[in-house]
Amino acid sequence: MRATLARAAGLVAVLTAAGLLPWLSGKDPALSLLRARSAEQEPTPEALAAVRADLGLDAGPLGLLGQWAGGLLRGDLGISWVSGTDVLPSVTAGLRVSLSLMGAALAVALLVGASLAAPVLVRGRGTAGTVAAVLAAVPEFLLALGLLIVAGVGLGWFPTSGWAGPRHLVLPALALGVPAGALLGRLVADALPSVLEERWVELWRGAGVGRVQVAAAAVRRVLPPLVPQFGMVVVGLTGGAVAVETVFAIPGLGRTALGAAKSQDLPLLQGTVLALLGFGLLVGAVCAAVRRRLLGPALRDAGLTLPAARPVRVPPAVPLALGAVLVVVIGWGLLREPFAVDTALRLSAPSAEHPLGTDALGRDVLARLGHGAASTVGTATAVCLLGYLIALAIGFLPNLASGLADIANAVPPVVAGILVAAATGPGTGAAALAVALVSWPPLASHAAALAQEVRASGFLMAQRAMGAGPLWILGRHVLPSVAAPVARHAVLRLPGIALALASLGFLGLGAQPPSPEWGLLLDESADYVERAPVAALAPSVALALLAALAVSLSGTPARGHTVPPRRRTTRATV
Amino acid sequence: MTPLLDVRDLVVRYGAATAVDGVSFQVRAGETVGLVGPSGCGKSSTAAAVLRLRRPHAGEVRFDGLELTALSERRLRAVRPRLQPVFQDPYGSLSPRRRIRAQIAEPLRVQGRWSRPAGPERVAELLDMVGLDPVLGERLPHELSGGQCQRAGIARALASAPELLVLDEPVSALDPSLRAGVLNLLLDLQDRLGLGYLFISHDMAAVRHLSDRVLTMRAGKIVT
Repeated sequence: MRATLARAAGLVAVLTAAGLLPWLSGKDPALSLLRARSAEQEPTPEALAAVRADLGLDAGPLGLLGQWAGGLLRGDLGISWVSGTDVLPSVTAGLRVSLSLMGAALAVALLVGASLAAPVLVRGRGTAGTVAAVLAAVPEFLLALGLLIVAGVGLGWFPTSGWAGPRHLVLPALALGVPAGALLGRLVADALPSVLEERWVELWRGAGVGRVQVAAAAVRRVLPPLVPQFGMVVVGLTGGAVAVETVFAIPGLGRTALGAAKSQDLPLLQGTVLALLGFGLLVGAVCAAVRRRLLGPALRDAGLTLPAARPVRVPPAVPLALGAVLVVVIGWGLLREPFAVDTALRLSAPSAEHPLGTDALGRDVLARLGHGAASTVGTATAVCLLGYLIALAIGFLPNLASGLADIANAVPPVVAGILVAAATGPGTGAAALAVALVSWPPLASHAAALAQEVRASGFLMAQRAMGAGPLWILGRHVLPSVAAPVARHAVLRLPGIALALASLGFLGLGAQPPSPEWGLLLDESADYVERAPVAALAPSVALALLAALAVSLSGTPARGHTVPPRRRTTRATV
Repeated sequence: MTPLLDVRDLVVRYGAATAVDGVSFQVRAGETVGLVGPSGCGKSSTAAAVLRLRRPHAGEVRFDGLELTALSERRLRAVRPRLQPVFQDPYGSLSPRRRIRAQIAEPLRVQGRWSRPAGPERVAELLDMVGLDPVLGERLPHELSGGQCQRAGIARALASAPELLVLDEPVSALDPSLRAGVLNLLLDLQDRLGLGYLFISHDMAAVRHLSDRVLTMRAGKIVT
């Protein structure tokens, strides 16, 4: 119930932000709309005033918000500023397309997830494996582009753009469904081994219950606590849909929202964001209902928890090797000149002079890769630091934290990116802000758990008993115990945050040309993939390496320790 | 003569459950009062309420004639050093991150009594008083045995120069071979410093060994 309230509050907060966009942006939308409607008309004060009056912008920010909310209650989403048509039909049309796409993607995801979990269920041990882990971390836009280039353009098996029949559905559904499926499969497969070691399994087997029945019971045991996470995966699909629809030119809700943000068509943006979030909330509610149905009314929320999952143990050598490869490539590229244009050498193949070839303007790809990484890593570090500070500040206020985290969790980074870009205009800062706004909840919940653990410990009782004040306890004991582990956690999330930034860059919501940001680099080079495949391959491989690094870091033992190792035996023997 | 600790009609509740239901007893200076009873009978809740680590629902806790339950947290801080706890879990009652010497020094710093060279000398004296080798002062808790940690915890309590120690199962987590050592240390300290003890345990033998008087609790009430 509290989660539902928090989600509703989140929806209101995000929609208010969306409704206040013209006021938040501090810029005059009249000028950009005039440009969008008729390029040749002079932006005279009279023309701009006419546009403003036409849009009703004179009503002021709160007036606009009130008008929009009032229209919403009557089922009227307003009129598009750019095309002048009703928003509602565009939204419903886009929603229909996006729902079919997400449905197909969900089917793919279930197939992938089941095939990853099945071997673990049969063998009774093991994990979903490293391939699944990497697939789960690969951003949708990268997979979409890869499928487009290989299966669409290269092999010509499936159409690469548009929306005209089931064959158009195959590649987008794969691009959207495979990462989600890998994530689902991993969640189940990681939880299964410890469930299969529970005593009831042995008892059932000893009593002669068949393998199939035990397996079915184990699945039923695993699923209920994971259902909320499945809901998160589906909410994540709405973010992925923006990228996938853009790559495959599908007229869905995500692509409409992105276009609306870029052209400052705020009524359309508000309508599409409302639909995306509404879908996310509906999914959350359905998941909660399914969970109640599976558990029965008698079981309270914490009544049926899973034994601790044992995720893939990756030897530290793997992230070290991945990191070393990236550092070498980046370091090499940093020594070269990224902005030198040489039109004579456009789209040249790799050579001694240009080890990874050149791009459409004859710029060195290796140099751009190196310099792009430097700025991406710098931005990601800043985002991490911001998230870390938010987490530390909020982690000590568990109630506020859980409410705000529910809001942040319901908004995929791409949707946050669209909203922030609409308010401030696209740019590195906007992308960083968007990712920071939604990336802190895991850190905050970690900080909250640690702070709770420290506060409950005996040595803090002793502190109070000796007369220490709250500030002394916080500064000398709680903060030092929380700050270091959460900092390690924040560093581990760095590659994932860099990937989110690259996604926004790829969609044109982040760094702008001529910046060599990786997502942008991939977007630019994808147009010339047939003539210069290496130029597109290089950022793709770099992003895939980053994804692998993100996964292998999260699997290394460092994360397991939340507090310094301490003997927990109640009976000391030495 | 007023008793050191005078508890009257103490009531501690957790939500709807009543853990301590009208408990009264006294501890005089230099005296050991044992409090025994089965698990969950309210012994530790009584200890927490006496130390004001948990605010009692009703009743009075008078320490040296001073009513503690009425005091604000700020006023209470001036009194807290005079009654100190020793907890059951020897590792959990020390910070896992700081050296033993620093933890024993912490009460002196918190109470504004730290200076050089008197502070370090006092810590060395306390280590000696509880029978810990000065070398162990440089260690972290997980590098010590349970018995050594418990001695360090007692040294930290003594750093506040208390008049009453609330010993909440001080030896139950220790290996039986180490218990006698810690119990004898407590007897020795009482002789030297004239401390009053509220000794909480479910181990009748240990309580008889140490106590002048024994109270038995059952379901939140004192039955004998």
